[in-house]
Amino acid sequence: MNAPPTFESFILFEGEKKITIEKDTKVPNAVIFHVQKEDHTLGNMLRAQLLKDPKVLFAGYKVPHPLENKFLLRVQTTSDYSPQEALTSAVTDLISEVSLLEERFKHYVEPARWLLEKNKKGLTDTVGRRVTYDMKILGIGR
Amino acid sequence: MTMSTTEEMRSYVTLNEYDVDHVHSTDFPGSYHGYDDSWDFNRFRRNFWIEVTKLDDMEMEFDMVGIDAALANAFRRILLAEVPTMAADKIFIHNNTSIIQSEVLAHRLGLVPIKVDPRMFEFRQEGDEEGTDMDTVEFELKVKCTKNPNVTADLPDPYEIYKNAKVTTKQLKWIPRGNQAALHHNNPIRPVDGDILIAKLRPGQAIDLRMHCVKGLGKDHAKFSPVATASYRLLPKITLKQPVVGEQAERLARCFTPGVIGLKEDEDGNKVAYVDNARKDASSREVFRHEDLKDAVDMKKVRDHFIFSVESTGALPPNVLMCEAVKILKEKCRTFLVELDNLTKK
Repeated sequence: MNAPPTFESFILFEGEKKITIEKDTKVPNAVIFHVQKEDHTLGNMLRAQLLKDPKVLFAGYKVPHPLENKFLLRVQTTSDYSPQEALTSAVTDLISEVSLLEERFKHYVEPARWLLEKNKKGLTDTVGRRVTYDMKILGIGR
Repeated sequence: MTMSTTEEMRSYVTLNEYDVDHVHSTDFPGSYHGYDDSWDFNRFRRNFWIEVTKLDDMEMEFDMVGIDAALANAFRRILLAEVPTMAADKIFIHNNTSIIQSEVLAHRLGLVPIKVDPRMFEFRQEGDEEGTDMDTVEFELKVKCTKNPNVTADLPDPYEIYKNAKVTTKQLKWIPRGNQAALHHNNPIRPVDGDILIAKLRPGQAIDLRMHCVKGLGKDHAKFSPVATASYRLLPKITLKQPVVGEQAERLARCFTPGVIGLKEDEDGNKVAYVDNARKDASSREVFRHEDLKDAVDMKKVRDHFIFSVESTGALPPNVLMCEAVKILKEKCRTFLVELDNLTKK
């Protein structure tokens, strides 16, 4: 067995930095971010959010090798803006986006959970099957 | 490729006979003339909505509309691999004379879902073999198979003539450590299901072992994954471009999942097809194999309408799992922001 230890996918090596920057020397205002111990989950999300920024000329990511737990994010921006600024605002936007999502999700789920807890016995019907609560019947749906 | 307007290209994935068109999101600034696709939180707030359509202790289905696939996929990936649960990680086998090899037995026990809230525990320190009551849940399995003295031997059923011929998860006994018994008094720790078969025994065979359950992540080992499945699909949009009548209508209905195409009678008593509920469709493209029907239907999917389904393994209810996934994603973003900040300060 020569598989790398599984914990390597989420624990930084000794002295390893989470993010490092490599300047792209061929074009102005372009940077490659090396992000350690992250994968497509964050990489693709950041790429998509960066592309929503009109001042971002290019955003792309890749995972160079499936056994190396890192991804590269290349960002090129207009001259009045830096890739670091672009990335910071992209992440900030993502946080507010996800917060709204959380708020709306809880808004729908909490009353239903309350009803479920209250009618704990009602979870199984007479034949022993689980009963699924239809949110529309509960009057919670849109 | 079929002709389509810009609006259709932006909003729908088109299913054709041999290919699928407009798969990727293209709503980025600069892609289209006359559209402002730059990020605007208020616009997102207006367009985004969530609706939970199904919910119980094990399963949940909800619609999430107005977000990018990258974000929906991030949630799916986090649910599968980054929301922690407790699972058996170290099995100490004192005796195993069953026909199941010890390593296979240990692997089977590892996969048993444990009903315990992982948020009440910490990750075990690396190199710690014993564990503490803060990071370890201990179980004992001690069974011995014997002949059942009350039964005459000519019964053919081994489960009647032998005691403990089946070892199931019900026989796993929780050994509380420290103040665990008091802490989990209302929800005693146990396997989610009591009827999972672990091994089969015959008289004289015995299993005696202890297992340490620790907190872990799905990306370390699938046994730590809190979900049986977490997946999403796009809302199908099916339109009939021309009237389909009689035998053709019945055949059309059979091309789709039951309930998708309905049949109603017109004034002359002919059966006419109509789209009843496209949501039910499993997106089979069978209809394109019928020469006379293929031009009558348009099959599309709404690109930003995700029908998300989460099936828990039972440790935590699916709605809690989703909230945990949101927390983890936010935490990821915050750490990233801090690291980015450190980078620019230098």
